[in-house]
Amino acid sequence: MEPIRYVDALNNKYGAMGFPPYQWSENHSAPWTPLARPLTACTVGMLVSGGISHCTAAPFDPDARNDHRVDAIDPATPLDQYQIHDSYYDHSDADRDLNCIFPVDRLAELAAAGEIGAVASRLWSGFMGRTYNRSKVIEESAPALVDELKADGVDLLIAIPA
Amino acid sequence: MGLVARVVEESGIPTVTVSTGRDITALVRPPRSLFVNFPMGNTFGRAGDSAMQREILRAALDLAVTAEQPGILVDLPLQWEDTFVYFAVETTPEALARQLKK
Repeated sequence: MEPIRYVDALNNKYGAMGFPPYQWSENHSAPWTPLARPLTACTVGMLVSGGISHCTAAPFDPDARNDHRVDAIDPATPLDQYQIHDSYYDHSDADRDLNCIFPVDRLAELAAAGEIGAVASRLWSGFMGRTYNRSKVIEESAPALVDELKADGVDLLIAIPA
Repeated sequence: MGLVARVVEESGIPTVTVSTGRDITALVRPPRSLFVNFPMGNTFGRAGDSAMQREILRAALDLAVTAEQPGILVDLPLQWEDTFVYFAVETTPEALARQLKK
C-alpha cells in the first residue's frame, strides 16, 4: 500500500482542533559522520519518542506538546517494567511486546552474538509529541543528549520516531 | 526526532532513523533513514515476532555501514499484511484544554 500521508493527516486533525498548521522542518541537505569502526566493535544506543518510561518513573504526558523530557533507560530492565503513555500512535502491540517499537531485547541478542560490539549502558526515551519550539531542540535538548551519548561512548545511535 | 538525529550526527555520532512516516522523514531529512511501511507503533513488526524485529533492526544497523549519501532514505521491502490507516484517538475536551495551555 501507499505510505500514509502523515503531514496531511496531522494538519487535518490538529487544524480541526484550532491549532495552526504544523510547520515541518524542511531540509535539502543532511549532516554526515561516517561510522568510525565496524559494527562488531560499535557501542550502539537507541532513542525512541514513543512515550516509553520505566514503571518507577512518572508517565509521559500522552498528549505531549513542547515536552523536552528525555529519560535514560536502563537496557537491563525487564520488559514488564515499562509503561507507555502516548496518544499519537497505537501502542497496543508495544504494550504486549516493547520490541515492536523499541527493540531492546533484539539489540541485546545482537550484542551477545557479536554482531555489534555492545549495547550502550543507557538508552533514551523522549522528544515525544508535537514540538513547536524547535530551536530549543536544536540549541538545548538535543545537544544535552549528545553530551550523554558521548559520555557513554556511543558509536551509533538508532533513532525511532513514534 | 529527525531533527535530533541531525544534531547528533552533526556532533560526531552517526545515526540511523527508522521511520514509519515516509513523508515526514523525507521533509526533515535525517542523515540516514530506513522507511518501514508498517503502522506507527509497529516499526519493528508485530508483538512476539522476534525474527522480524531482528531483521528490521539488522537492516537499520546495516544502513549505518552501507549508506554513502547524506540524507539517504531507503525503503525496506517488507509489506504489512493488512491495510492500515492513520491512527488518531479522539482528543477529549480536557486533554485539548491542557494542550492549549502549553
